[in-house]
Amino acid sequence: MSGVLARRDRALTPEETEELLRDRLGEAAVVGSVVEYGVFTLRIAQEHWLEAARRCRDEPLLAYDLFDNLFAVDMREEGFDVVTVLYSTSTGNRLVLRTRCAGGREAPTCPSISDVYRGANWMERETWDMFGIEFEGHPGLAPRILTVENFEGWPLRKDFHLVSRGVKPWPGVKEPAELDEDGNVIERVPRIGDAPGPYELDKVIAEQAKLANPVPEPVTAEGGNVEELAQDADLASDSGQVLTSADEQAAEEAEAQASDVAADVAGAQAQDLEQTAKDKAEQRRREQAEARRRKAEERAADADDAGAAPDQEGNA
Amino acid sequence: MGVMDQIELPTPIKYVFNWGRKYSLWCFNFGLACCAIEFIAASAARHDFIRHGVIPFAHGPRQADLLVVSGTLTDKMAPAVKRLYEQMPEPKYVISFGSCANCGGPYWDSYSVTKGVDQVIPVDVYVPGCPPRPEALLESIMRLQDLIQGESLKERMERRRRDPITLAAAGVPERESTT
Repeated sequence: MSGVLARRDRALTPEETEELLRDRLGEAAVVGSVVEYGVFTLRIAQEHWLEAARRCRDEPLLAYDLFDNLFAVDMREEGFDVVTVLYSTSTGNRLVLRTRCAGGREAPTCPSISDVYRGANWMERETWDMFGIEFEGHPGLAPRILTVENFEGWPLRKDFHLVSRGVKPWPGVKEPAELDEDGNVIERVPRIGDAPGPYELDKVIAEQAKLANPVPEPVTAEGGNVEELAQDADLASDSGQVLTSADEQAAEEAEAQASDVAADVAGAQAQDLEQTAKDKAEQRRREQAEARRRKAEERAADADDAGAAPDQEGNA
Repeated sequence: MGVMDQIELPTPIKYVFNWGRKYSLWCFNFGLACCAIEFIAASAARHDFIRHGVIPFAHGPRQADLLVVSGTLTDKMAPAVKRLYEQMPEPKYVISFGSCANCGGPYWDSYSVTKGVDQVIPVDVYVPGCPPRPEALLESIMRLQDLIQGESLKERMERRRRDPITLAAAGVPERESTT
C-alpha cells in the first residue's frame, strides 16, 4: 500500500502489534499469529473478540479505522471461524483478526462487533445468512438478506446439500486432479453422454449420444500401440512382417526384451517423435497408460497371491 | 386491447395490424448479469436493433411490449421479474436471453439460482449461448417478428386466459436458413 497520506514510518510491525495487543488484552487473548501471503493474521480468543476489535480501532498506535470486511470459514468438525479484515488509513497497515466460534457446528455463536464498526452490521447479517452463525449483541440478524426469506439451511456450510446434485451428478472430473490409490493423476476424458439425467429418456438419449460419438481409440490402448508400431515398422523397415503377425503379447515381450526388431522400430519411432511435439505428447500419455497398467497388473498379481495362499492352506 | 382479442380480424386487416405491431416493439431490458452487456451491444451502433423496429429502453414496463430477460435469475430476484412482467400491457412477449435465463446455465446446481426464467413467466423465444452474441439476439427478434406476423391475437389471448403460466406462443415458425 503506497497511499500518499499513509504514514508507513509510523506503522507498527506485526510483532509490535501482537505485543501491544497482548499487553492491552492479556496473554490469553491472543491465541496465535501468522504472516501469510503478506497478510498478518492474529487469532483471538472468542471472549476477547469484541474488546480486540475495540482496541484495534481506539489504540493510537494501531488506529485501524477502516473496517474492510467480515466473513466466516467452515472448519468442518472444528466448527466455524469468523474472520475480519481491518485497515488503517493513517499507517497503511492491514490486519486480519480471526476467532473460533463457540458452540461447535450445532449452534455457532460469536460476539458482534457492530457496536465498534457500524459497517460490520450487514457483514454479520450476511455471514449469519450463509453460515448460520449467531452474532450476540447484533441489533437484528433477520430477515435474511441474501437468500429468499423462507430459505432453509445455511448454504455455504460444507455439509449443505445441493438438491440439484442429488438428482444429477456432476459431469466429468470433480476435482482438478483426481488421484488413484498410488497417487497418480487419473486422466479422464469426459465423453458425451457420460452423465445422464434421472429419467429413462435421459438414459436413452445418453446411449444414443454415445453411439453417435464413438471413442476414437481406447486411452490405455495397448492394441493401438502395437498397431502404430506395426505401421511404423511397415514404413521404416522391412521387418514389419514380424510385427504385423505378432499379437499383443508378442509385441509386449518384444518391447520388454528390447530385441533387434523392437529396437529398430523404437528407434524409428523415436525419430518420428522428435519431429513433432504432438507425437511427443502422445508418447508421454502412452507411457503413463503403460505404467498404470503395469501397476494394476502387479496389484492384481498380489491380490491373486493373497487369495491363493489361504486356498492352498485350506486344501492342505 | 379493446375488441382486438374478442373478434377474429379479417385477414388483410390482421396482416397490416400485425405488420405494424411487429415493427414497433418497445423493449424492456431485464439485465441481470453479463448477458446484459451483449444486449447493450446489440442495441448500440454496430448491431443497432432499432433498424429491426425494436426500441430499447422503454420508460418502464407499462410502456413495453417485449421483455428481454438477460442474465442469471436468482430466487431472490424472481418475484421482481414476475411483478414487472405483470405490469406490462397485453400483448406482451418475452425473450429469454442466455443459458442462465433459459435453464440456470452453469449455475444449474446452485442453491440460489432459478432453473430458468420460464419457471416464473411464459417465454416466447429462447436464445442459447453463454453469453449469446448480439447476432443471436437479432435472430431471436426476427423469429419473434415472424411469430407476431403469423399469429391471431384472439387465439393468443384465449390461450393466455386458459393457461397464463406455461403457455407463451403456440410455436415459433421455422425460418428459411439465412446462412
